[in-house]
Amino acid sequence: MIQAVGLTKRYGTKTAVDDVTFEVKPGMVTGFLGPNGAGKSTTMRLIVALDRPTSGSVTVNGKRYADLKAPLREVGVLLDAKAVHTGRTAENHLLALAATHGIPRTRVDEVIALTGLESVARRRVGGFSLGMGQRLGIAAALLGDPSILILDEPVNGLDPEGVIWVRELTRQLAGEGRTIFLSSHLMTEMAQTADHIIVLGRGRVIADAPVATIEAMATGTAVHVRTPDAERFGPLLTGAGATVARPEAELLEVTGLAAPQIGELAAHERIVLHELSPVGGSLEDAYLALTQDEVEYHAGGTVGA
Amino acid sequence: MKTVTLSFGGELRSEWIKLRTLRSTLWCYLIMVVLTIALGLLIASAHPAPAAGAPTPSHDVQQSTWVTVATLGVGFAQLVSAVLGALVITGEYSTGMIRSTFAAVPKRLPTIVAKALVFGVTTFVVALVGLVAAALVSAPVLPTNDITADFGDGNVWLALVGGAGYVALIGLLAFGIGLIVRSSAGGIAAALGLVLVVPTILQVLARVTLADWPANIAAFLPASAGSKLYAYPGAAAESFTPSRPGASGVITLDTWQGLLVLVGWVVVAFVVGAVLVKRRDA
Repeated sequence: MIQAVGLTKRYGTKTAVDDVTFEVKPGMVTGFLGPNGAGKSTTMRLIVALDRPTSGSVTVNGKRYADLKAPLREVGVLLDAKAVHTGRTAENHLLALAATHGIPRTRVDEVIALTGLESVARRRVGGFSLGMGQRLGIAAALLGDPSILILDEPVNGLDPEGVIWVRELTRQLAGEGRTIFLSSHLMTEMAQTADHIIVLGRGRVIADAPVATIEAMATGTAVHVRTPDAERFGPLLTGAGATVARPEAELLEVTGLAAPQIGELAAHERIVLHELSPVGGSLEDAYLALTQDEVEYHAGGTVGA
Repeated sequence: MKTVTLSFGGELRSEWIKLRTLRSTLWCYLIMVVLTIALGLLIASAHPAPAAGAPTPSHDVQQSTWVTVATLGVGFAQLVSAVLGALVITGEYSTGMIRSTFAAVPKRLPTIVAKALVFGVTTFVVALVGLVAAALVSAPVLPTNDITADFGDGNVWLALVGGAGYVALIGLLAFGIGLIVRSSAGGIAAALGLVLVVPTILQVLARVTLADWPANIAAFLPASAGSKLYAYPGAAAESFTPSRPGASGVITLDTWQGLLVLVGWVVVAFVVGAVLVKRRDA
């Protein structure tokens, strides 16, 4: 269980995390979604006390992270940026971290095997690919067999096989009753892994709901109407309060009116419809709809860059 | 994993693993020992033979010469120690390792103290090995120049221990500075500047101004204050000659004052660094 209340972090004049309140519950995978720069990594650093909040608080299992007796046993964390000395081997890195808590060598060997690092464990981390670095980060997070797992962009740099591995691992750990908090800027990845999603945009929580609810937000936003009488039906729909686009001669894209109302209007006006279909809202659409106003850095948004 | 918990003993073990699993550590310590021995041997063999018919020097002068020869490597060992001391902490910041370290030990200070202890003790032991070896290999070389080493003289061993302590303390001073600046280049530059460059500037100032104050400031710098730790005490009074006429107003620290001043430098750097570590985001 992770609880954040009014969590705020300012760097100088820039507010990275702005009065954020949320709860991450055990027994499920909670996705932490938002565009790059939305404040996801900062929030995660605040949870494990690497950064100090400007105001508000965050607790893990009811305690401040810094007050935990055995932090690695309660919380495993994979941070976005590399957090390993490049001159040390993977094995020695894990042994050094394990030593702080008296975690036995057998557990270090276990997490090396679990993350598939056996063949590179005695090599220095400086030569690791992004994917191997991620596996080492996950191995470090699992060292203390923690009840809470915080993973910042865990699939970043992993091959497709690795992505599936992370998905199955997190699902399995959540199934064991652990709290899994996982950030990504990729909606599709979240849709396949998470049970619950917290969407962050410009440092604020803009949605906090089960995956199904987030998906539903996007459903029914547009309706495709195919009719030979588009010329006449378009203005009628506009008159009824809808916004109408006409991408093809016989196709109308209607927003602002639901499919049943459009059908009734057509029947009333004796207009033949060849198709009447709500455009299936994907999680991706919902995400884009939620965050389009919140994206800090629009592609191509700056002149002369 | 019922017994798994954070402990200071565990943090010490962790820092010991970290220190010995980096190549830079092994290289620095190897260079330190080799240089200390090589310099001692070189200077011992290059020591000028006494003029024919000159009286045999007193026991204290002989012992003092031996100690000077054996501890000549301190000047180089301190540089290696300063570089390593800064790197031990700034290397964690530059690679991001510090985030893993502080996530495992969120109170932060215990791990910093453990790191300083492990580095300080290891450096002391390595420097002592080098200095004792330098004393042992130079002793048989010196007699050709009319100097017979007396192994039973406790002051010699004290000076060697003091030299190793000095090397370790300079390393810890660099560690404290590294803790403050967090950058390898900055930490090394600041530490070496304090040990090497500032005394030189003060020397130049002393020549130019012909005043006592540059020398009096220099006396309290880490290198000068610390040099009292590895000087052979018996010969100090005998061989003392004012560096220039009218230098009577220049302050000279004794061994304990020198130690106190050096420790003071380390403590100040450490306390400032510790306060910053607690307050800053990692």
